[in-house]
Parts: sequence; C-alpha cells; structure tokens
Amino acid sequence: MKDGGLENKKELENSKKQSKSSKFRSKNDDFSLAIAKVAVAQVCESVGFQSFQDSALETLSDVTARYIYTLGKSATLSANLTGRLESNVFDVIQGLEELESGLGFADASDVNRCLANSGVIRDIVHFVGDAADVPFAYDVPRFPVVKEREGMGSFWEKGEEPHGEHLPSWLPAFPDPESCATQSTVGNGTMSGSNGVKTGLVGVERKIERPLLNCQKQFARNGNLRDSSCGAGDSAKAREASNSNPYLAAPLQFREKEVDVSPVVLPTKLSNEVVLRDSVPENHSGEDQVSVLETFAPAIEAMKSGLCEYDGSRQKNVLYNQRPTVHFKIGIGKKSLNTAPYFVSKNKDIHKIAYWFENSNEKDDRKRRAEIFSEESMECSHEPGQL
Amino acid sequence: MSHNPQSSDGKHDDDSTLSDFLASLMDYTPTIPDELVEQYLAKSGFQCPDVRLIRLVAVATQKFVAEVASDALQHCKARQDAVVKDKRDKQQRDKRLILTMDDLSKSLREYGVNVKHQEYFADSPSTGIDPASREE
Repeated sequence: MKDGGLENKKELENSKKQSKSSKFRSKNDDFSLAIAKVAVAQVCESVGFQSFQDSALETLSDVTARYIYTLGKSATLSANLTGRLESNVFDVIQGLEELESGLGFADASDVNRCLANSGVIRDIVHFVGDAADVPFAYDVPRFPVVKEREGMGSFWEKGEEPHGEHLPSWLPAFPDPESCATQSTVGNGTMSGSNGVKTGLVGVERKIERPLLNCQKQFARNGNLRDSSCGAGDSAKAREASNSNPYLAAPLQFREKEVDVSPVVLPTKLSNEVVLRDSVPENHSGEDQVSVLETFAPAIEAMKSGLCEYDGSRQKNVLYNQRPTVHFKIGIGKKSLNTAPYFVSKNKDIHKIAYWFENSNEKDDRKRRAEIFSEESMECSHEPGQL
Repeated sequence: MSHNPQSSDGKHDDDSTLSDFLASLMDYTPTIPDELVEQYLAKSGFQCPDVRLIRLVAVATQKFVAEVASDALQHCKARQDAVVKDKRDKQQRDKRLILTMDDLSKSLREYGVNVKHQEYFADSPSTGIDPASREE
C-alpha cells in the first residue's frame, strides 16, 4: 500500500533531472524533495488515496516545500520587524494566519483578538486530535551534512610569531618563501614579492629574490602577450622584444630613440594620466605629424621606470629627480576637447575655450538627437503593424 | 472592575492552552519529518532553537496537505459518481482512487495556487475553426 511512493521513486528521480530548475529548487534540493514526496504520499494515503500520478505527486510536494518556506519567511519577517533575530510562537502564528487568510479562519475579522487564541491554532488542535499518528516511513539523517574544513593554519596554531605588531596571531600564517619560489603562478609570486618589499627582512631577501625574478618574468610574459594581442608592429620586432625583455632593459636616456621597441598601443586614458617627466624635444618640434611611436615612447619609458621599482636594489629613478615636469596633450584623431574625459589643463584660457566648445557641442548634440528621432519615426512609419 | 479578573483569567487560559498544546506536540509525531521542515525553514532564514515550533510548522503543513488531498479526493469521488450515474455500472465504483493532476489543480485553485495545464496546443490561432468562417 505504501508502494505508491516507493515504486516510482527511481523513475521520479530520473524525471527530476529533466525537470526545470527554478530559483527555489536548486540542484542540491534533490534529496529534500524526495523526502517531501514520500511524506506527502503518506499523508495522501492516510486521507484515502490509493495511488498517485507522478506529476501530481511532484507538484504537491513542491507546493508543500514552498508552504514551509513561505511560512518560515513570514515568521522571520515579523520577528525582524520587532527587532528580533529569533522567531517565537507568535511570529509563526502570524505567518499561519497570513497563509490561511485566503480561505479564512474563525475570528479572522476580530481586530482585537489575541494571537494565542487564534482560530488557526484551534483548527490545528482539532486536526491533531482527529488525525491518526502516522510516522514517517524512513529514518531521516541530519542533513545537509556540513563538511569540516581544514583551518588555514593561523600563526597561533603553527606556533609562529607574526612578523609585526600589526599582524594578529589568529590570521593565517604566511606561506614559506621556498615553496613559493617553486610555484609558477602569478598570485603566489606577487604575494611573496610584496612581502619582501613590505617586511624588508635581511635574511629573507635572498630567498625572495627568486620569486621576485619569477614575478618579473610573469610581468614580462604578460607584457609580451599584450604586445602580441595588440597586433601592432612586425612579428620580427615582437620576437626581438621578447628575447630582450623590454621591461628589464635600461631606460632610455635623453635624446635617445629606440626604434626596436615594439609599439604598444596604449589606451588614451593610460597615456593621458601619466605625467611625463622627461623633456623629449621631438614632441615639441614643429612637426605636424607626430609618429605614434614617438608619441608613446615617453609613456613606455615611464612604465618601464615604474616597473623597475620592484627591483629592490640598485637602480634609482633618475627620471623622477632631474627632469622638469611637462604637460603633454595627446589628441587622437579629431576629437573635440569636450570628449576627452581625462583632459588635464592648468591653463585657464584653455579652460574657457573648452567651455565655449562645450556649449557649441551641446547644440550639435541636440541637432544630432533630433535627426536620430526623425529617422526613427520614419522607420516606424514604414511598419504600420507594429506598435 | 469585574471584567478585569475575567479577562486576565481568559488570557491565562489562552496561554495555557497554547503551551499545553505545544507540549502535547512533542508526543505526537507528524508525518512530515522534522529534518525536512528544518531544512526549508533554514533556507528561508527562520531561526529558532525551540523544537516545539518546528513541530508546530510540521503539523500545520501536514494539515494543509491533508486539506488539499481531501478536496482532491472529493473531486475524484464526485467524478466517479457522475460516471456511475450515466452508465449505472457499480463495478466502476471499485476503481482505485488516483490523485490526478486534474483534481489537484482544482483543489489547489481554492488555495490560491495555479497549476492549471493547457488544455490543448494549436498550430495557429485559426486552427479548428470552420473553413467557412475563416477569413481568407
């Protein structure tokens, strides 16, 4: 007689895989849904049914699960409204009343009623008195099973002393620098590299040099990847640049032009933000057409100099100290001053001019918008059927 | 003045009724297992260390399912009785009572849950219409 739920279980599980998964029902819900089906089948059997349609059973068990979920949600809501985290019996009764309000219950219209005396509870009391006590067919284990995760190994657990007062002992301990050097992932490399810069321990420096080199190699690799993806320049030049690591090369001196550098097409934002500190007179010459390479050469130098900082020793940044600051405007194509978002200008006159151009551009924008609308209306008129 | 002691007694009665009922719930084992109810309550954010509330929710859910099932059973029996009236064949009454999607959707409709299936699917809006009345 109980086979109504048991026999079809395997078939039900197979059909479940094909069923649509909604937000409420996730992949991990299979087990709880199966249990709900068995429970619902038992309840229906006690009511008088002898067998079930698969789809009907699945639907009813889904509705049951949603009922419990909705009840919990409304109880939690009423608890939170009164400033409590844990729900109590009155929250649950209010939730029950909300769910039963569709069909109605006794005393529903009574405004001043006490929740303890609610009609919903009385109905449940009657139900419990009448219904036969049919326990669940199986022993349900506690679920979901919570896996115990291995701790990260804090300083305190490992017995190590943290490297400074700012590091509490309950934080995970730093990984071994030796184990980091052997790994080739960027994340570990940068972590140990940054550790070396921050902590500055003498004994650890040598061990850190290796991961620093790895880190630089990673940057170089990434840099070369970027070069090749941009597709600028010959493949031969790219190969040359990759053989001689451009980020490890010496920085360009005054008046030096390195043609071998593979032209990196930098986005306007990046090149505009960099305040270039070497006065390269080629840029200020009277040439109307400045080549892309020359335009971006200072930016490339600045980036190289920036990266060289990671080399913990020797090279001081000559560029920062000696050269006067130059404000460098890069205009690409014939864009108006208005559209360059990172336009840096310390000249008030230029500000005024930009402001004037803004106004004129606004009018142009309005004209353009009007044109676009008229075009769209023309298109719409050709399609009478659609609204 | 006379009302007050009565009302206070009434309140005590209500509270005691409720607390007695909750205590009695621990003896009654609902068909829906506690673990299942806890799983879905936890999913909704319901937090309560009291086991009696879990039992209350389980019993309320069981009552809900029982009501829906009994409504569906009445629909099923009514349909079977109607068939018997037409054919006057008593053997048909002994047929098994099956929970069908049809009966379930009718009974769930009253509880505000719409699980109605499409009766049929047509190829085009004019399928099945008389050819004479079809616009050409």
